[in-house]
Amino acid sequence: MSILSPDRYITRADKSPAGRPDVRLVTWFFPVWYAAFGVIICLLARVTPPPRPDVSAADKVAFMTTHALTIQVGFVVLLILLGGAGMTNALVAYQMSRMSTGPVLAYAYIGGMGVGALPGFLLVSVCFLTATFRPDRDPELIGLLYDLGMLSYNGSLGCFSAAYLVLAIAVLYDKNEIFPKWFAYLSIWQIVTEVIATQMFVFPAGPFAWNGSISFWVAVVVFSVWLGSLIFILRNTAAREPVDTDETFQGPTAG
Amino acid sequence: MTHSDSSLTATARDTDRAAQPSVGRAAHLPGDIHMWVMVLGDLIIFSSYFVIFMIYRSMSPEAYLRAQQHLDINIGVVNTVVLLTSSWFVARSVLSARAGDHTRAIRFVYAAGACGVLFMALKGYEWAAKIGAGYTNSEEFFSFYYVITGVHFLHVVIGLIVLGVVIRDLRNPARRRTSMVEAGAVYWHMVDLLWVVIFTLLYVMR
Amino acid sequence: MQILEQVQDLPKAGNIKAQWVCLWSGPAVGLVLLVALLAFPGFWPPISPTLPAEEVARFYAENTAWIRFSQVTFNLCGIMVVPFFMVIVAQMKRMHGQSHVFAYCYLTALVSGATFFALSNIFFLVAAFRPERDPELTMLLNDLAWIVFIAPIGMVLCQFLLLAVAVKFDHATDRNGAAAIFPRWVGHYSLVTGLAMIPSACAAVFQTGPLAWDGLLSFWLRNGAFAAFMIVMFFVLRTAVLRQAVDDGVIADPEARLGASATR
Repeated sequence: MSILSPDRYITRADKSPAGRPDVRLVTWFFPVWYAAFGVIICLLARVTPPPRPDVSAADKVAFMTTHALTIQVGFVVLLILLGGAGMTNALVAYQMSRMSTGPVLAYAYIGGMGVGALPGFLLVSVCFLTATFRPDRDPELIGLLYDLGMLSYNGSLGCFSAAYLVLAIAVLYDKNEIFPKWFAYLSIWQIVTEVIATQMFVFPAGPFAWNGSISFWVAVVVFSVWLGSLIFILRNTAAREPVDTDETFQGPTAG
Repeated sequence: MTHSDSSLTATARDTDRAAQPSVGRAAHLPGDIHMWVMVLGDLIIFSSYFVIFMIYRSMSPEAYLRAQQHLDINIGVVNTVVLLTSSWFVARSVLSARAGDHTRAIRFVYAAGACGVLFMALKGYEWAAKIGAGYTNSEEFFSFYYVITGVHFLHVVIGLIVLGVVIRDLRNPARRRTSMVEAGAVYWHMVDLLWVVIFTLLYVMR
Repeated sequence: MQILEQVQDLPKAGNIKAQWVCLWSGPAVGLVLLVALLAFPGFWPPISPTLPAEEVARFYAENTAWIRFSQVTFNLCGIMVVPFFMVIVAQMKRMHGQSHVFAYCYLTALVSGATFFALSNIFFLVAAFRPERDPELTMLLNDLAWIVFIAPIGMVLCQFLLLAVAVKFDHATDRNGAAAIFPRWVGHYSLVTGLAMIPSACAAVFQTGPLAWDGLLSFWLRNGAFAAFMIVMFFVLRTAVLRQAVDDGVIADPEARLGASATR
């Protein structure tokens, strides 16, 4: 009965598990997966915080060779775990489908996040793995893979903006109070930081570059607050969900 | 079961609130807590942009000063006056709503919205003029300028949507809530406050 | 669209509101994408596949600002058409006598198809990121961008075929007098649009002629047919959502409303 077991994750005061068991399991999985993802992108693959754009091809090759082992370990593990990304998005979509706006916006969320998966983090995984695959490649080619990986990873903005937008709309319209209204505003901030981050395609250096204080650091802080809040909100809403009724697609007051 | 209960009590609470104007209600938070979370968080995020701007400005003060000369301070002043006027309209509308005079409240909100549209038109004209004169985001100062005023512009657009929702709710007797008008006012005042700081930092401060 | 007061808080009203917002996001996003489309120098005329590497690199160096602006707009707003297409999914789910399998297939096809578009934006932007890059590499990125943008049409083809089949099934089944969700011609129109997409797959092979990525079939017909489909479907969906709202009792039936002032 460790704290890492899903049954312990959502409990009422009398120690009985709250909410539906399958939802409880996926709700527990959500922060576990993101913790693993965080370790991979920050500590192993070193793409967060990102390496600099304003370096020469030789420096990029040096980056790839210095971190070759951890990049390969990290991204190979990610290739195994990446299915979990879809599951975390689906959990949010499930909770969105319980809102009074129904499933339409949940599908749009799945759509936006589903599109974002490939350019958003799969492309950087394969680009960096390809770069470390043959370290003796022409430095210009490794530089290309480096740019492509970093710009797709940091610069895939519209897919997630679309998903956050429908999430915000659903939360604001929702009468079932599945998510608190302030979370909609948090999601709108996410969109704003994404819009600002588009500047990274223009600047190889400075505050708007892909590693800049505005395009990256402020965005990462807002994202961390968003993700942290989401984890707690998912937990709370799963605990409040009635176990016996099927609210999905109908809402508690049908007709 | 719990959801329908809570929605019933919510409706009862709302009609209660609509029935009594909140004149003389001491110590109540104007608007709702969600809007305050939005406003305070927004101010914090914008502050981080302002701080970063100041840091980069201190790293190359002459370049920034030179670039700043090309900003037209007159249009900045006009925009500031326009937004301050709109805030005044919004404040008047809150007072009218609290006193129960919803027709006047709606008119004031329209006036504030009109000011917002005027602000957007002036901003658009200013951007077009600057881009036409060749001051694009190739200079650091101007890239800050476009990003910060651009994000503010986005907030004005959202503010107009918020005002629209306030008008729609004020028109409908069953949906009138003073807290709604107050929440809209809080957001609009934030937009105005942000502009004053932007104006000071980008246009005025030498 | 005026939602009746007594049903404001019910889920069926929420569903209609959600669909209405998604429906109108279509024209709003479409307008922004139109601006980006007109602004992208690589479309007027489309960059020829036969252009040598130095010319391609020069094109990116000379038009960097507009390329970046238009592709950033595509990046930011391109996927915002997804909610619009979700209204089609929602309406497909309402079709009579069907399980929801076609609707879900449509959803997955849409997501996969949109992914290619998102990917092509990234390639264009990376090509424009360092104008001093080796021209051969810039041409490589340009090739990737165009091929990914034009050629993979399998997913969108599925979308159009699925809609055509779903409409056919809807009309073929007994609906107890209820109207079908979409008129019959929508199915045929969807099929024809899907067929118009097919030649574009050859853009990955041909460098000249109508099948090349700058050619009449692969570029103009493909993109024109897709844009026209979105415009036409906006009106079709608007009618369908309004009819759903009336059927569900969310808005007043315009024919039945004879001086009834209770809704105000």
